[in-house]
Amino acid sequence: MAKEDLAPKVAEHDPITIEIIQSSLRSITDEMFATMRKTAMSSVIYEVLDFGVAMMDADGELASSGSGIPSFVGMLAPGIKSVRRKFTKPDDIKPGDVFATNIPHHGGVSHLNDVVLMQPVFFNGQIISWLANKAHWVDVGGTFPGSISVDALDIYQEGLQLPCIKVIDQGKENQAVIDIMAGNSRVPDITVGDFWAGIASMRSGEKRLQALIEKYGDETVRYAIADYIALGEAMARTELKKLPMGVYSATEKLEDGRVVKAVVTITTDAFTVDLRGNPKQGKNALNSSLDATIVDAQMVFKALTDPQSFANAGSFRPVEVLTDEGSIFNAQYPTAMGVYYETGMILFDLIWKALAPFMEQHLTAGHYGSICGTFLGGKHPDTGKEHSIVEPQLGGWGASLDRDGVNALYTGQHGETFNVPVEVAEQRNGLMIDRLCLNDAPGGEGQYIGGKGINLDYRILGDDWWISMTYVRSESGPWALEGGRPGSTNYINVVRKDGSEKRYSSCTALPLEKGDVVQVVTANGGGYGPPQKRAKDSVFSDIKNGYITAERARYIYGTEA
Amino acid sequence: MKIRAASDVGGTFTDLVYCELNDQTGAIESIQTEKAHTTPPDFEKGVLSTLKKADISFAEMIFFAHGSTVVINALTERKGVKTGLIMTRGFRDILEIARGNRPDFFNLRYEKPEAFIPRYLRREITERLDYKGQVIENLTLKELSPILEDFKKEGVEAIAVCLLHSYANPDHEQELVGKIKSLWPDVAIVASHQVSREWREYERSNTAALCAYVQPIAEKYLSNMEDALHNNGFDGSFYVMRSNGGIDTVKSVKEIPITVVESGPASGVLGAEALGKLLGIENIIAFDIGGTTAKCSLIDQGRVSVTSQYMIEKTPLSSGYPIMTPVVDIVEIGNGGGSVAWLDDHGKMHVGPQSAGALPGPVAYGKGGIEPTTTDANLMLNRINPNYFIGGEIQADMEKVRSAFEKLGDPVNLGPQEAARGVIRIANHNMANALKLVSINRGYDPRDFTLVAFGGGGAMHATALAKDLNIPKVVVPAHSAVFSALGMLLSDLRRDYIRTSPMPLDILQAAAIGKTISEMEDEALASFAEEGFSNDDIYFERFLDMRYEGQEHSMRVPIASSKIAEKNVDLLHRDFGNAYEREYTYRLDSDVEIVSFHLAAYAQIEKPELSPIAEDKDVANAIKEKRDVDFDESGVAEAVIYDRDKLGAGAEIQGPAVIEESGSTTVIFPDQSATVDRFGNLHIAI
Repeated sequence: MAKEDLAPKVAEHDPITIEIIQSSLRSITDEMFATMRKTAMSSVIYEVLDFGVAMMDADGELASSGSGIPSFVGMLAPGIKSVRRKFTKPDDIKPGDVFATNIPHHGGVSHLNDVVLMQPVFFNGQIISWLANKAHWVDVGGTFPGSISVDALDIYQEGLQLPCIKVIDQGKENQAVIDIMAGNSRVPDITVGDFWAGIASMRSGEKRLQALIEKYGDETVRYAIADYIALGEAMARTELKKLPMGVYSATEKLEDGRVVKAVVTITTDAFTVDLRGNPKQGKNALNSSLDATIVDAQMVFKALTDPQSFANAGSFRPVEVLTDEGSIFNAQYPTAMGVYYETGMILFDLIWKALAPFMEQHLTAGHYGSICGTFLGGKHPDTGKEHSIVEPQLGGWGASLDRDGVNALYTGQHGETFNVPVEVAEQRNGLMIDRLCLNDAPGGEGQYIGGKGINLDYRILGDDWWISMTYVRSESGPWALEGGRPGSTNYINVVRKDGSEKRYSSCTALPLEKGDVVQVVTANGGGYGPPQKRAKDSVFSDIKNGYITAERARYIYGTEA
Repeated sequence: MKIRAASDVGGTFTDLVYCELNDQTGAIESIQTEKAHTTPPDFEKGVLSTLKKADISFAEMIFFAHGSTVVINALTERKGVKTGLIMTRGFRDILEIARGNRPDFFNLRYEKPEAFIPRYLRREITERLDYKGQVIENLTLKELSPILEDFKKEGVEAIAVCLLHSYANPDHEQELVGKIKSLWPDVAIVASHQVSREWREYERSNTAALCAYVQPIAEKYLSNMEDALHNNGFDGSFYVMRSNGGIDTVKSVKEIPITVVESGPASGVLGAEALGKLLGIENIIAFDIGGTTAKCSLIDQGRVSVTSQYMIEKTPLSSGYPIMTPVVDIVEIGNGGGSVAWLDDHGKMHVGPQSAGALPGPVAYGKGGIEPTTTDANLMLNRINPNYFIGGEIQADMEKVRSAFEKLGDPVNLGPQEAARGVIRIANHNMANALKLVSINRGYDPRDFTLVAFGGGGAMHATALAKDLNIPKVVVPAHSAVFSALGMLLSDLRRDYIRTSPMPLDILQAAAIGKTISEMEDEALASFAEEGFSNDDIYFERFLDMRYEGQEHSMRVPIASSKIAEKNVDLLHRDFGNAYEREYTYRLDSDVEIVSFHLAAYAQIEKPELSPIAEDKDVANAIKEKRDVDFDESGVAEAVIYDRDKLGAGAEIQGPAVIEESGSTTVIFPDQSATVDRFGNLHIAI
C-alpha cells in the first residue's frame, strides 16, 4: 500500500480503536521483551539487559520498541532495511522466515556480538509488520575470548560474521547454520540457548500481533501504526520547538591524545549533529558504525524531548547526523568495531557536554562516562567448566542545578540494566567478591556534588583466568558545570598475590592466577556550582556519612566539622 | 450463636464482614457487613466501632481475622523507626547501590530512590561465608559493642542484620542476633534469614531493613488491637491476613511484620480460591475492581500463585524497593470505578491512573467532580441505574455527567455517548491487558479459566472482558462488594518457606532434594507445634523453582512429596520441560538445575460452611424495571433489571439484563445468560 493511502482519514477511523491498537503495540513489544529476558541463557542478556526488541511497519520503520537500554531502541530498523535490500525477489521472504545479521557495516548492528534476528509478519499474503530482536551474544568466536578486544585489527578477528542470512525458512530452522554458530562460539550451549530465546521472543509478539489484526482488520492496524509514527514525530517537533535555538559545540581529548569534537545545531525543525572533521577510523576496535553513531545522537535528542513518552521512528525524525566516511564515527568494512560502545559513549557524552550548560533542566554534569565493560573468564573452580562473564560497571552521575548526582547507577546508555548480585556472581562465576562499596575518592565537589562511583574487588579462585577491559575517562574525570569540580576516573588495579599492583585502563586477555585480585574503580560524577556555595548542613552530612573526610571538607569547603 | 468476623482496615473505611453460625451445624446462617471511618493513628478504634455498630457480642466471637495496611502505610509514609543495619565487611553500601538500574532510561536526570537507612547507620562486621555456606572467616563479635554504642547515641530503635550467603547458612546471623539481644535487650532486631532464605543480598538486606523499620510500629499496633478486643471480652482466636494468601497468628506476624505488606489484596484472591473449592472450579482468574485500581491473579488447579519478587513504589519511572517475602502474585493497574478519563496534548484519550477518589468522586456524586470517570461512563450507558446509584443513597446528577462527556469528546469529534463508550472501551482494554499479563503471557489459555469477579466494579466489567478474552464463564459471588474480607473467614493458616539451594536436577541428587524438602517440612511442623498445632492439622504444597543451566529466570513446578526416588527425577525433568514449552514454545536438551525450594505449609482450622439460599426459579418477583442499556458493540437494547437479593437458587436470566445489588451491578450482554447457584452466586455463560 502506498504511503499516500495512509494519510489520516479522521472520519473513517474511530480514535478510540486507534488508541487501543497503539497501546496494544506497546504491550506486544513489552511481551517480546519479557519473553527474551526469561528465556535467555546469559546474564549479559537477562541481567545487563544488553538486548532490544522492536516492531516495525511493513517498510521497516520503527513502530514500537521494548528495550532494557535506550541505545538499542533505534538500532533495529536499519537491520530490516538491510534484509529488504538483499532479499528483493517476489518469493524471497515468506511467512515463518527468520533472518539474522551481525555485520555492523551493513546496517542495524553495533558489533559482531550483537546478533539481530528479524521476522516478517504476514496477513493475507502481505507483509504487515516486521519483528526484530537484537541481543549481545557472549562469544561469537574470533581471536579473543568474549570476541571483544580493543586490540582487534579488523572484523575477521572479532568472530563469526552472519551476512544477513535466512536462518529459519518457513518455520524450518537451518540446522547447518545453527551448528556453525555453535561451532564458532566458545560457549556453544549458551549461544544456541540465546538464539532460541530470540526466536521465542518474536513468536510471542507474532501471536499477539496476529490476534490484534484478526480483531481489528489489517487496514485499521496499518493505519494505527502509521498514525502512531506520525504522533511520535508530532510530539518530537513540539518539544524541539521548546529548546533554545543555537549552535553548540564541545571537544574532548581521548586517552590516546586524539581530539574528538561535535557541533550541534538546533533550529525549529532540526537537531543536527555535525561530526565532520573527526579522526579517521583506527587500527583497533574503538570504531563505530554510522547506525550506532546516529543512535547516540537520537538518545540525547530524546532526553531533551519528553524522555518519558514512547519512542518510535517519528520521535527521531528531526535528528540529522553528518559524518565523514571512514572516520571513527562512520567506520568502513572491514574495520574492527568490538569496542564501539566506548566510542559511542565518548560521542554521547560529547553531545551531552555541548548542550548541558544551556539545558540544565534536562541534563546533569558529566557522569562516569564509560560502559566499563569487564570480561573475565576461566575454569569455574567447583564445576571445572569453562566460564566467562561480561559485565558493565556502575558509576557516579553528575550533579545538576538543584541536586547532588546519583551514586552508583548505570550509564546513560544503559537503562533497566541490573548488576549481578554478589551472592549470585560467586556461585555462578566461581569468583569471590571482596567488597562492593561506594568509591570514597575525592572529586566531583561543588554546590551539588557528583554521585559516587564504586569499588568492586574480584578475587580469582583458580589458575589460568584472564581479563579483558577497556574503560574510557581513565585520564580525565567527568566534566563539571557552573564551577563545580570534575569527578574522578575509571580504571582497574590488579593486585597480584605477591602484593604487587598495576593500574590498567585497557588490557586484553591479561592472565590472572589464583589469589590475584582485580579492583574495579569507577568514577565519581562531575560537580555543579562552586563548592563555596554548598550548604553547611550538607557538608556536615557528607562528613557524617563518610562521603568526604573532614580534612578534605576543610580544604574544599572551608568547613570546620 | 457463634460469630466469625473479619475486618479490613483501608485508607478511608474500615470494613467488617461477619457471619453468624448455626449452633448445631456450624454452617453460616447469615453474612452481614458494617463500615466505619478509619481512625489513624488509633486504628483499633475504627475496628471496635464497626463491631459495636454491628452490635456483636465479643464473647460470642470465636474467630477474628484482621487485614491491615499498617505496614504498607508506615513504609510509604516513611513513618517507621530509626533503623541501623549491620552487614558483612565490605558491603554496607549494598542498600544504596541497589541494582543500579534506571527504568526511566531516556531521562538523563533520573533520581534513584533513597535508601531507607542512611550510610552513617549502615555498619560492617568482619565475617565471611562462601556460597555453599562454608565459613571462610569467623564472625568477629568484638566489633559489635562500638557499633551498638553508636546506634544508641543516634537513637536507633531497630536493627536489621544481613550477612552474605546467610540464606545458605544462617549461623553467623543467629550468633550476631543472639549477641545483640544480650547486649541490648530492648532493641527490635530482624535478621535477613528470618524474612528470606533466598539469595540476592540487596533484595534480602532491603527486606530485612524494611521489616526492622516497621517492626516496632506493627508490634504496637497489633498489641493495641489485641488489648482492645480482649478488654471488650473477646476470647477467641485472633489472626492476621498475610500477603501470601493465608492468615497467621499474631505472634508470628509480630516477629516478621513485613509478611503482611500486601495483606488486603491477597484476601480477595484467597476468597476466590475458597469459593472455587466450594464450587469445584479449579482454574480461576480472580478479578477485583475497586475505586482506584483493578487487580487480578491466576489460580491454577486450585493453587494460588505466590511470588517473592514483590516491589513497592516501582513505576515505569522508578526502580522502587524490593521486598523478598511471599506475596500473592497480583497484577494491579490504575483503573477502577473512580479513574478519570482525559485527553492528552495530542488528542489521545486515557483512563486513569488518576482517580477522583471518594472526594470529589465521580461527576455523578455532585460533589464538585468535573472530570468524567469510569463510573460516570457506566451511568451514561445506563448500565448503572441513576436512580439506584450506590444502593440508592445518591441521586446521580446526570445533567452534569452528560456535560462532562460533551466536554471530553468535543476536541476529538465524539458525542457524549460515544465518548462514554470510548471510556469504557479504553478502561476495558487496560483491564484486559492486566488479565492477559496473568494468563496468556504466562502460557495459560483463558478458555480454560473461570473469571471470578468482585469488588464494587468487578461485576460491571467482567462480562465484557470475558467476551474479549474468550473466557467461557464468569462467576459473581454473593456479597461480591465485600468478598475480599469474606476470604479471610474461609481460610487456613499458611506459612511459606522458600530456600535457595542451587543443585543440578540429576538422579545423583535425588536424596539431597528429598532431604532439603524434609528439612523445610520439619521446620514448618516445629513452628506450628510451638503454637499448639498437631502434625495432623498440617498439610503441604511443595514446589521446585527450576531452569535450564545458565538461565536466570526459573519456573515453579509442583512436586507431590518429599520422598524422591530416581524415577521422580525423570518425572520432574518431564514436568519442567512441559511447563517450559507451554510458556516459551520450545525446549532444550540442556541440563536443568534447581534454584530454590518452596514449601507452603498450611495449618487447618475449623472453617464454616456457606449455607444454601432458598430455591426459587421464578424470576418475576425480582424484576425491578426495564430500561434501554447501551451495550456498545452489541448495540442499545431494552434490558430487564433484576434485584439480586430477590433471586432464588436455580433462577435463570437471559441477557440483555442488569442485576442490581447494593454496592455492585452485574451487566449481562444480549447473547449471555446467567443462573443463580444454591449459594446465591451468579454464573454467567459467555
